[in-house]
Amino acid sequence: MNAIEMKELTKRYGKNRGIQNITLAVKEGDIFGYLGPNGAGKSTSIRCLLEMISISSGEACLLGQRMGTAGGNGEKRILRKVFNRVGYMPSEAYFYPAMRVGEVIKYSARLRGLDCDKEAGRLCAILEVDRNKRIRELSLGNRKKVSIVCALQHRPELVILDEPTSGLDPLMQEAFFDLLMERNRDGMTCFLSSHVLSEVKRYCRHVGILRDGELVKVDTVENLTRTKLRKVRISGPAFIPQMEGISEVTALGDGFSFSWHGEVAALLEALRGMEVKDLLISEPALEEVFMHFYSNETSVG
Amino acid sequence: MVLFWQECRMNFRTMLVWAFCVGGLCLGCLLLFDSLGDSVGEMSEMFSDMGAFSEALGMDRVSIGTLEGYYAVEISMLLSLGGALYGAMLGAGLIAKEEEGKTYEFLNVHSLGRSKILCEKYGALVVMLAVFHGICICLILAGFAWMGDMPDGVSFVRYHGAAFLMCLEIGTLCFLLSALCRKRPVGASVGVAVLFYMMELMCRVVPALKKIKYVTPFYYCNAADIFAGADESAWLCGMGIGAAILCAAFLAALVVYEKKELM
Repeated sequence: MNAIEMKELTKRYGKNRGIQNITLAVKEGDIFGYLGPNGAGKSTSIRCLLEMISISSGEACLLGQRMGTAGGNGEKRILRKVFNRVGYMPSEAYFYPAMRVGEVIKYSARLRGLDCDKEAGRLCAILEVDRNKRIRELSLGNRKKVSIVCALQHRPELVILDEPTSGLDPLMQEAFFDLLMERNRDGMTCFLSSHVLSEVKRYCRHVGILRDGELVKVDTVENLTRTKLRKVRISGPAFIPQMEGISEVTALGDGFSFSWHGEVAALLEALRGMEVKDLLISEPALEEVFMHFYSNETSVG
Repeated sequence: MVLFWQECRMNFRTMLVWAFCVGGLCLGCLLLFDSLGDSVGEMSEMFSDMGAFSEALGMDRVSIGTLEGYYAVEISMLLSLGGALYGAMLGAGLIAKEEEGKTYEFLNVHSLGRSKILCEKYGALVVMLAVFHGICICLILAGFAWMGDMPDGVSFVRYHGAAFLMCLEIGTLCFLLSALCRKRPVGASVGVAVLFYMMELMCRVVPALKKIKYVTPFYYCNAADIFAGADESAWLCGMGIGAAILCAAFLAALVVYEKKELM
């Protein structure tokens, strides 16, 4: 079964674009990276999934339950129960300022009708959360830690994380991902919306890339970095041939660097006869693939 | 009921402050009655002959020379206006505070559902207003007991029942406003309470505006009318209209919040 499914999901804000025709399936047990710059539509997709905003057209399903289109109130109540199997960590972690951290964590568990004291205690110990402090006394990073505890304490089958590591120090980021990996080994699906490419590359198995509200690519991290795109650094020649497939050209002191999209043999053929002192052709990092999607209209094959 | 109790807990302290301020003011004014002595009697005579003005304040129906009349004309106004303002501000904050404080994401990712969230929050509004009135009534009765002159029981119960319904009606209308807004509509909610109060005064002073008495909830909770034993059917009609407006406002809040885009 798919943990998350979007079929031609579209959300419009009046005449403004939100997201358009997003079709995506995240399999149970996967760690899926949802990449895109600010304003690409990552949070809009998540809000559609979590029924915070209405869907203009298309379908969104969470753990097999179709969201946002339920009929009567009774049906709605049954559908809402799926939220007890889902954890969500918003990009901005806001809670009630006058409450203590421990009260917020307990309140979240009680809203789900569960007693998660033991697991909450374990998570607080790992993330070094002081449960006696008031929310208004916490920094963004500490509020994020409270948010992690609230999202994971009920041992959800699916966790949706919207830019989870912003505000967390590197040690806490490490502890957080260790927790995610531990839960993932137990079968939890992770949907990680982020623009931090290094963490997506390190932890995710599949990646979806959003651009201007549209999903432009879904693939494994391995396949994405194993494309026909190559990063080329060449020393010696005073110019490089003008040909299709060359982009992102940067002049260096003794040569050029550029991206090459095509067969390596065709590039070598084009460089034949030129005064090449040194040539370095490397596979792109995920960052470079990502940037390529935003600097070119064409997709990477 | 977890959200209901949480809302009660979060609003309890503010409710106590309002209840002891309004109830304490009523108690203080009751205790002042004896020290006002002859001046109250003179005022009573003077105001009872001031036509529309005395009619607006209810002094043509009850005498402020008695403790009960003084309560019906002067003190009930403090309770009605204070209660209406408290109800308005409480109702205005309950829903919009989630978007203003960006806590709606936290609340809405639990399995409650929007109609349940709204019902539990509304339950907290009803209970907070009931406790507010309970405290005020206790303080007022303590004042009467101290003065050794208890008011007519039936009129007292009728007035306080009407005052509770009036506060609830205004609170519910502001609850609807809160469902419509993304930030706490504090100014608008105070404006609603004051506007209804002004409408009640105007409909008594200006004959052409008499019909607006069916709109303002202050009309059916006028203590001077109740203590003077005015037309009971008109009072019940006013209460019925008030209850109908309250129900309509609550249902509208449910519809609005179910369709609201939370962002």
